[in-house]
Amino acid sequence: MLLSLLVWIPVVGALAIALWPGEVNATRARQAAILNWIGLVVVTGAIIGQFDPNTQQIELVESFSWIDRLGLSYSLGIDGLSFPLVVLNTLLVGIAIFSTNEAISRPRFYYSLMLLLTSGVYGAFLAQDLLLFFLFYELELIPLYFLIAIWGGVRRGYAATKFLIYTALSGILILAAFLGLAGSTGFASFSYDRLRDFAIAQASAPDSLLPIATQLLLLALILVGFGIKIPLVPLHTWLPDAHVEASTPISVLLAGVLLKLGTYGLIRFGLGLFPEAWSQIAPLLAAWAVVSVLYGSFAAISEGLANGDMKRLVAYSSVGHMGFILLAVAAATPVSLMGAEFQMVAHGLISGLLFLLVGIVYKKVGTRQLSALSGLFNPQRGLPVIGSLMVLGVMASSGIPGMAGFIAEFLIFRGSFPAYPVHTLLCMLGTGLTAVYFLILLNQSFFGRLTERVANLPSVSWLDRAPAIALSIPIALFGLQPSWLAYWSESVTTALAVSTRISP
Amino acid sequence: MTALTPVTQWLTQTVWLAPCYGLIGALMTLPWATGTIRRTGPRPAAYINLLMTVLAAVHGGWLFREFWGQEAQYLTFHWLSVADFDLSFVLELSPLSLGAMELVTGMSLIAQVYALGYLEKDWGLARFFAMMGFFEAAMSGLAISDSLLLSYCLLEMLTLSTYLIVGFWYAQPLAVTGARDAFLTKRVGDILLLMGMVALSTFSGSLNFSDLAEWAQTAQLADWQAGLLAIALIAGPTGKCAQFPLHLWLDEAMEGPNPASLMRNSIVVACGAFVLIKLAPVLALSPLGSAIPIALGSMTAIGASLVAIAQIDIKRALSHTTSAYLGLVFIAVGLQQTDVALLLLLTHAIAKTTLFTSIGGVILNTSTQDMTQMGGLWSKMPASTMAFVVGSMGMVALLPLGAFWAMERWLSEPAMPGWSITIVLLVNGLTALNLTRVFGLVFGGSTQPKTRRAPEVTWPMAVPIVSSIVLTLLVPLMLEQWQLLLTRVGALQFPVSETIALIASAAIGATIGISIYSFGAVARPVTLPLPALQDLLSYDFYIDRIYRLTIVWVVGAAARATAWVDRYVIDGLVNLVGVATLFGGEGLKYSTSGRSQGYVLVVLISVSTMVVLAGWSLAQLWF
Repeated sequence: MLLSLLVWIPVVGALAIALWPGEVNATRARQAAILNWIGLVVVTGAIIGQFDPNTQQIELVESFSWIDRLGLSYSLGIDGLSFPLVVLNTLLVGIAIFSTNEAISRPRFYYSLMLLLTSGVYGAFLAQDLLLFFLFYELELIPLYFLIAIWGGVRRGYAATKFLIYTALSGILILAAFLGLAGSTGFASFSYDRLRDFAIAQASAPDSLLPIATQLLLLALILVGFGIKIPLVPLHTWLPDAHVEASTPISVLLAGVLLKLGTYGLIRFGLGLFPEAWSQIAPLLAAWAVVSVLYGSFAAISEGLANGDMKRLVAYSSVGHMGFILLAVAAATPVSLMGAEFQMVAHGLISGLLFLLVGIVYKKVGTRQLSALSGLFNPQRGLPVIGSLMVLGVMASSGIPGMAGFIAEFLIFRGSFPAYPVHTLLCMLGTGLTAVYFLILLNQSFFGRLTERVANLPSVSWLDRAPAIALSIPIALFGLQPSWLAYWSESVTTALAVSTRISP
Repeated sequence: MTALTPVTQWLTQTVWLAPCYGLIGALMTLPWATGTIRRTGPRPAAYINLLMTVLAAVHGGWLFREFWGQEAQYLTFHWLSVADFDLSFVLELSPLSLGAMELVTGMSLIAQVYALGYLEKDWGLARFFAMMGFFEAAMSGLAISDSLLLSYCLLEMLTLSTYLIVGFWYAQPLAVTGARDAFLTKRVGDILLLMGMVALSTFSGSLNFSDLAEWAQTAQLADWQAGLLAIALIAGPTGKCAQFPLHLWLDEAMEGPNPASLMRNSIVVACGAFVLIKLAPVLALSPLGSAIPIALGSMTAIGASLVAIAQIDIKRALSHTTSAYLGLVFIAVGLQQTDVALLLLLTHAIAKTTLFTSIGGVILNTSTQDMTQMGGLWSKMPASTMAFVVGSMGMVALLPLGAFWAMERWLSEPAMPGWSITIVLLVNGLTALNLTRVFGLVFGGSTQPKTRRAPEVTWPMAVPIVSSIVLTLLVPLMLEQWQLLLTRVGALQFPVSETIALIASAAIGATIGISIYSFGAVARPVTLPLPALQDLLSYDFYIDRIYRLTIVWVVGAAARATAWVDRYVIDGLVNLVGVATLFGGEGLKYSTSGRSQGYVLVVLISVSTMVVLAGWSLAQLWF
């Protein structure tokens, strides 16, 4: 019941905001969205209360068949893999609503879309049926397309279309893989549990149930499909464009949770359903991770050296940091999978924070071009608090200990090292390169003298700062007390690792 | 171990608080540092931090007294455990670690009181104190840490705070580049250390120094593994201790405020060496583990001593000697003479503090760091002059003050090879030459426009100056009292010929320096017969250009190549497909003829092709 509430409360809210007969101005629509979000917080709190982290079973299951002939069932559940991401989604949706421009145009449509998006993301994280997952995965696309295409920047049309085509393709590939798997196993069911049992049986008696060639083909579809979403190089070009054109709250959601759908899917449906094929192509995946990490880092550095767009730089940094997760999943040891889960949450928080701060700079200064910015640290006329938070954000992203990014990366590296030492060391170079481009960003925009052009900035109110501060607290908290996060996921990540044996 | 009193027990259990005081102070400073509280001015923030440092000093001092002559105790804090992988922090309470922590808090206290005067009129005072609190926290933690993981975390905290402190005056371009270079060069070392740590953790299963030492006894590693491991583990301390080739940052860091430079030159550099000493058992696994510190240390010791003499910036002239002395420490660690290394670190730290308290006042009151514009300050600033003289005496082995005993210990150690003694003598002589040179330029001679009206410093700076003078003078007594010289068996020998050589080397250096810079034996500015050599030294072996032509170029080229591929290959391909479909659609538009037979034919062909393809692939799947 609780999980359905998560999925359906935003839908009801969206319908209410969209179809309310009377006059609804921006403030009213915002209040309605916040009210809806409070409902989600309460439900999330109840889930936290009921969730038992010590089991590797799917919990709080709700299941009834929907369309029998298709084998489609409405089945929701939650486990240690999805639990932190669901909580993260609740947090970031709140941040996105609060950081939305209060006088936004077409507010009813905007907030309805945002709530629909929320519902789609919850649904995808909770779905325990492959077809249902696909439905939610596609459902989340449409509102996001409009959110970029209507409230975006100058080239929003191009960016939104590119995003739509890419992610629709991703959905098609995933659907093809799901259909292939369900069809070839002969089950007329898309239930994750049954397919997972099948996969485990398959792994214990290799090549008995499904030829390895078929497995590899299906896994390749899944990899490319989710690889677009994560995104992995060279499937990433939609991301920088989408980020640059999207408005701040949308960027926060996009980087914070939507990319996590890709890595989540990779772990759940790639690693979880194809353990045998996975162990065969794992070395390739590790190499792919290295390419992704270094490519993302170097692209970000070049954006910085060219004094380009801050937001594009942060977007490329996402490409690099999501690559770490692929490395961890390729190694599939208990420690590395824990690291992957950690990195999903840490990256969600940190990139959310960074996009928020870039958004505030853009709002106050009117530009994101590094070449036009300078000296924003100035205590009288600049943005000193935003600057301090920016230091925290970029340092967390560079893996400075004491913040969540470090422990995530450390677990990933430590967990992957026994399986792929060389790949791991190469990925660690990416951590060093992160510092390079973020220092360029900091030095260029916050250090130096305040130029005439950006003097006399409008002051930043505490309302602007509050979302950023709210995000920096968990970043520091999980950095100092990682066991508070590890507690929720450990049993599931360990179980996943055990079922996949990767020979180094 | 004798029973502890309840107070001591409580203080022991809460020893983790000692590093936290600085952190708490830093956090409490934030409202002032970010400009949220403006009414009171930034002073309250400074007082809070001072109070916190006093607390840390008292807490640490009490424990130091109680643990004196006792066995070490270890406190373990479990941080995170995943599957069978356990991460824990261990704190070591021993006379050595607590003494080191006491040194950190003591120096921090001196630096902070000094900063009250030095930054009196700076609007960023609160921010500065916040960073100093952060700085102090990281270093006190390092002193008592007995886990490589914790030490790594704290080293990174130091890297971050160095970046922020060097960039304190962020409107100055040189400070900004200095901060960036400080962060990145240290980060290079840190990343390599992280790599080493990940590998070490995989091999040994634990990251606690005591476990590592035990593991190293029986470890079976291939030669190349142990060698790479040693390189990686040494890289971190190399960056922190400003050793070649990661030493550029210390020179550029001199753009920061002087109280921070004081900390940096006396104890921050020592932190790296401290970690290196703790890692010694692991480094012993590979011959490289001793060869690299010795090689890097020797190069830095001689090179930096020479470079220091070619500097005209007063802070740079002193900071290069820091690299040189840390080079000696590296050699000592490489030769497994930990006691000598620690002794050098201690005496150097105190003497360097005295020197930096002295020149801070000079910089503040003359508004310049350029020594060629100074002169004749001895009569204007007697206390600062005194501090410089005493600090110099503590640095070189001429009179029986600090460094004399450390170097004497080195010479009397039978295990120390002859060449290392030559290096010590060389560094000693060159440093004496450099310090007398600085003295002649800054305090001796006649006044210049910038120094004519320079007054003596105010009391917040005078108090730390005098305290550090006293401290330097007391060093021999401390060494005697705490028997630091007698960690080796038997009394300290005085090998006569070596001692004479030691004193002579300093005397020769000092004589040359005095005769050139105080009595004008050679026309100034002194030019070497080889201008190229002089430039080589004054530009620090062109190390910044070497960086630019190697690593900076490589990263830049890779970034440009990636950007090109991203733009023209990957995105270009995507856009090409897009444009092609558009044109395809536009083209197909003209094929609409209106005849239904044609449409039916097209539909029929397409559908049957799809059916065949689908059937074929399904057949592949199922059969």
